[in-house]
Amino acid sequence: MAETPLIRGIGLTKAYGNLVALRDADLTVMRGEVRALIGSNGAGKSTLIKILTGAAAPTAGVVEIAGETAPLGDPKEMIRRGIACIYQHPNLTPAMSVLDNIFLGRQPTRRFGFVDRGRHRREALALVERHGIDIDVDATVGGLPTVKQKEVEILKALALDARVILMDEPTGWLAASEVVKLHATIRAMKARGVGIVYISHVLDEIFAVCDTVTIIRDGRVVAESAVADIDRLQVVHLMVGEKLARESAQAMHHKRNPRGSGEIRLSARNLTKHGVFKDVSFDLYAGEVFCITGLIGSKRTELVRTLFGSDHFDSGVLEVDGQPSTFANPSRAMARGIGFVPEDRRREGLMLDMTVNENLAMATLDRFQYGLLMSRSRMGQAGRRMISSLSIQPPDGARTVNLLSGGNQQKVLVGKWLNRAPRILILDEPTVGVDVGAKAEIYTILRRERDGGAAVLVVSSDLEEVMTVADRIGIMVSGRLVAIHDADAVHMNEVVREIGMGTG
Amino acid sequence: MSASGVVTLSLIRRQIASNALPIAILAIVLVFTMAQPAFISPDNLIGIVRQAALIGIMATCTTFVIMTGGVDLSVGPVLAASGLVSYYCLEANLPLILVILAGLSVGVLVGLANGAAIAILQLPPIIVTLAMLSVVRGSALMLGGPEQHLIRDKPEYTFIGAGNLFGLPFSIYVFALVALVMIFIQRRTPLGLLVAAIGDNERAAYLSGHCTRATKTLVYVISGLGAALAGIIQSSQVHTALATYGPFGTELDVIAAVVLGGTSITGGNGSVARTLLGVFFLGVVNDGMNILNVSIDIQLIAKGAIIIVALALAARGG
Amino acid sequence: MTLRPATAALILFFVAIVAFFCVTAPRFATASNAENLMSGFSFVAIIAMGEAFPIMVRGIDLSIGAIVGVVGMVVFDMAQILHVPGYVILPAALVVGTLAGALNGVLIVFLKLQPFIVTLATLAAFRGFTYAISGRQLVPGLTTTPITDPWIAGLETYFDLGGQLGLSKFVAMPWFPFSFLIMLALFAIFQMLALATRFGRDLYAVGGNKEAARLAGISTGGTIISAYAIAGFCAAVTALIMVARFTTSTEALGTGMELTAIAAAVIGGVSLAGGIGSMFGPALGAFLLGAVLLGLTLLGVPQFVQQIITGAILLAAVGYDRLLALRRQRRLNANLAEVS
Repeated sequence: MAETPLIRGIGLTKAYGNLVALRDADLTVMRGEVRALIGSNGAGKSTLIKILTGAAAPTAGVVEIAGETAPLGDPKEMIRRGIACIYQHPNLTPAMSVLDNIFLGRQPTRRFGFVDRGRHRREALALVERHGIDIDVDATVGGLPTVKQKEVEILKALALDARVILMDEPTGWLAASEVVKLHATIRAMKARGVGIVYISHVLDEIFAVCDTVTIIRDGRVVAESAVADIDRLQVVHLMVGEKLARESAQAMHHKRNPRGSGEIRLSARNLTKHGVFKDVSFDLYAGEVFCITGLIGSKRTELVRTLFGSDHFDSGVLEVDGQPSTFANPSRAMARGIGFVPEDRRREGLMLDMTVNENLAMATLDRFQYGLLMSRSRMGQAGRRMISSLSIQPPDGARTVNLLSGGNQQKVLVGKWLNRAPRILILDEPTVGVDVGAKAEIYTILRRERDGGAAVLVVSSDLEEVMTVADRIGIMVSGRLVAIHDADAVHMNEVVREIGMGTG
Repeated sequence: MSASGVVTLSLIRRQIASNALPIAILAIVLVFTMAQPAFISPDNLIGIVRQAALIGIMATCTTFVIMTGGVDLSVGPVLAASGLVSYYCLEANLPLILVILAGLSVGVLVGLANGAAIAILQLPPIIVTLAMLSVVRGSALMLGGPEQHLIRDKPEYTFIGAGNLFGLPFSIYVFALVALVMIFIQRRTPLGLLVAAIGDNERAAYLSGHCTRATKTLVYVISGLGAALAGIIQSSQVHTALATYGPFGTELDVIAAVVLGGTSITGGNGSVARTLLGVFFLGVVNDGMNILNVSIDIQLIAKGAIIIVALALAARGG
Repeated sequence: MTLRPATAALILFFVAIVAFFCVTAPRFATASNAENLMSGFSFVAIIAMGEAFPIMVRGIDLSIGAIVGVVGMVVFDMAQILHVPGYVILPAALVVGTLAGALNGVLIVFLKLQPFIVTLATLAAFRGFTYAISGRQLVPGLTTTPITDPWIAGLETYFDLGGQLGLSKFVAMPWFPFSFLIMLALFAIFQMLALATRFGRDLYAVGGNKEAARLAGISTGGTIISAYAIAGFCAAVTALIMVARFTTSTEALGTGMELTAIAAAVIGGVSLAGGIGSMFGPALGAFLLGAVLLGLTLLGVPQFVQQIITGAILLAAVGYDRLLALRRQRRLNANLAEVS
């Protein structure tokens, strides 16, 4: 006789107008089961999660919890029935304390709704101790680093004493040691009978901690399997379909070009910003891709921002084309041929409500200007060229950028900078939230730029990406650049070791 | 209904949604004309546009401010102050061109102050322009006192607001010119694109190499200029300069016109042309209600209800 | 209770201002001036506290002055035309104000419109409604007949607490207006509500991160509607106090009060971004403005200069708040640097 699943989604469908995000999807989680949910971005994972947690109501389908049909689209009901979710982006109130956030909406009360402060604190401290998490419950959440905020999220979910915990890309911001801790916590919860849905695209983690896997592609569930019965290649094939999987594998075997043409485009000597990074020195050559990798918190983003003028270093010398330079703002850096694709494309890169053409032209507006006027038709022409060059889908320059998938949005962002034909192109985490297909296309674009003579600097935490695309690799640890290797002279394990060394 | 019928219906619905304002304006004109045929007489229509000119100039000039996610609550006192400054310049017998420049410079100065506080010090626009409202109103009262100042024997000046050219009030030509200039700036100059970009994502605009602080300051200067121009027109229209012109409520009428035109109060996409529609819509409604002798209470309630209904419908259809 | 730097600065500034005027303005440090301050600005403090609630949930209420007008006219009509007894008028007025505020909240939550726009529209609609129900012209002489109902007029009593407690033998004590005591009571109630109840936690949560609050199961709609209803309630109390003071009401009652309320709240450290603030700030902010205005009047400074100075204070307050925020950011960055 089959055991009743903790949670079961049957025939879940979600349509937003004409766009069908999820079609007839099924998902089951049993007691003590850790189920992986894999799919490219835009494949429908987030939609499925939103339905299961009540954050959104499906257009069709049913959700059963412990055998009983549950009301849909009501987060409070799902929480009451023991479904908790740790979302990708922190769902915390920055101005309130850790204590308040852990029990958000559920602080223990006495009569008349007065918060029972004593019990509140005792319960929170008990939680913190039980799970061995090191945190000050009175700290203001907004002042905590992202890693600690993630821990608050986990505490929040644990406080719910949930039967099923869904984790959406839980390790996105965690260091390797913290991932290990998280997996240990997951195994402990599993032993207590909690069901876990683990959404991730990091195959290593999935094969390390999950029991079963559900694969979603284009809004449909295309496969379900025990982790033991499937291998990585099969997973990737199922995720993206045959063609792209092959291209992605091929990408691993490209020729490396350390130090490119030998011409030094950018040179950093002892760059220091107090309390952020110290004595960073490296050379960037034309015709190479130099990847700086490291853990979150190693201050790579802070470093490259000072190269672009959106932030400033305190001491050291930066030379561009042999000339010492300090950039007071981005437009100065741009005048010297530097382009910068920022990490967060939605917050810092794109105008989401404007069209593809407008976004592509945003860094080159003067090219479409004569006197006081601006030529929209020339903007449209330039847009068409870039769209076709980067295979932006759909190939419609008048489409609002918000409607594009993550991968295509990233291509628009890159395209904006390519339009400037930069001599130095800096990209910060260029393929975060981008599906495997678009990733491969972006790598091809980077190689094209490199082969065209540009100096390309990529900041990336994705080791697979670094090993795929780098000609040389730099490793930053806690604000210091500790090593530089030629890509074909070093093994991934060595890189991993160096990244993990010298913490703090 | 057949599949093609459904598609046509949804197409029609979308057309209606995006053209809601002009349709609404036509509908209202029809309703009022049926109730009172004199509504559609050329005299009345010209009167509507003339009435709407003041708010219209201010609304077109403030559209950019709202597109950048800001707001300018100081337009009323600027209107009064510029009228006063023009009055004093006229009394000093300065040539007309200097009088006008002086009046407009009030708008520029206040706009620069607003812009500096908002763009450079990054203080919230509601509070800054609210404070400026107080400061400018107080300054206007200090300058001109609470008395009315009559503008006598200055025909070139009073022509601006009260004169006629080829049968139409001169102020309408001014309004039309301002509207055309602003529409041109929005559609055909980089400033227009930048304003929308800043409203959409200011950080991204900065990281694309644009000087967002300058642009933001500029939009407040433009808004101030609009209010100052309106002040010149009003004082020349009624031959009076008064420190309490542009009373509380003026700025809200201006904002209502912009918002009815479809620009979101939180910034982003917006259109000067559609602000004009908002202005005319309010103008037609106001005038119609006046002609029908609708009492002020119902007028106010209707105005509030219209704003809510219009925006709620827009939110649905969009 | 830890003091936020903004609050500490506010208190210091208030003390500094009072000290300044005590020294420079004749008759500032007198009992009668203290009375003026309390009677003239207690209702400002009340309406500022009311305005703080919508601002704390990341909204704004531009119609709060118009709600004062509506309630004032309701009181007038009930007292002078319908001759309803005062002990019915008082609760009725509170209900009307609360419902008007709730209407704002309902429109904002269910129509999903920006609070700025909704309350802009209700500003017009409520004011129109005030005109519509105005009975002032119905009977000749009504406009000049004072309201004499003891329940209402009683709101304008003064209590000689100094005399009763025997303190006036030592120092000249002001008589405390009832409105001041009402303000204190409301302050205590709302402060407790905000800081010590689950509703208060929910309020800050919705204001700080609405989506997180929603996902945590908090009823964001209910919280928002409650916040605007509280604002309406405070407007009603304000209207009652003002009507008692002027012994009548006009169609223009409350015009422009929303700007004063917002100013007092912002000076008091309530953040327009939501999620930050308490009742102490708006109340003190209102009295700070009051002290400045009274002091300047006593110094013979003309009205319009007072307006300019009010504007300048508002700018200074918000500038200082920004400075604090910048310093917080810098400290945060330093912390992150250490932790990495």
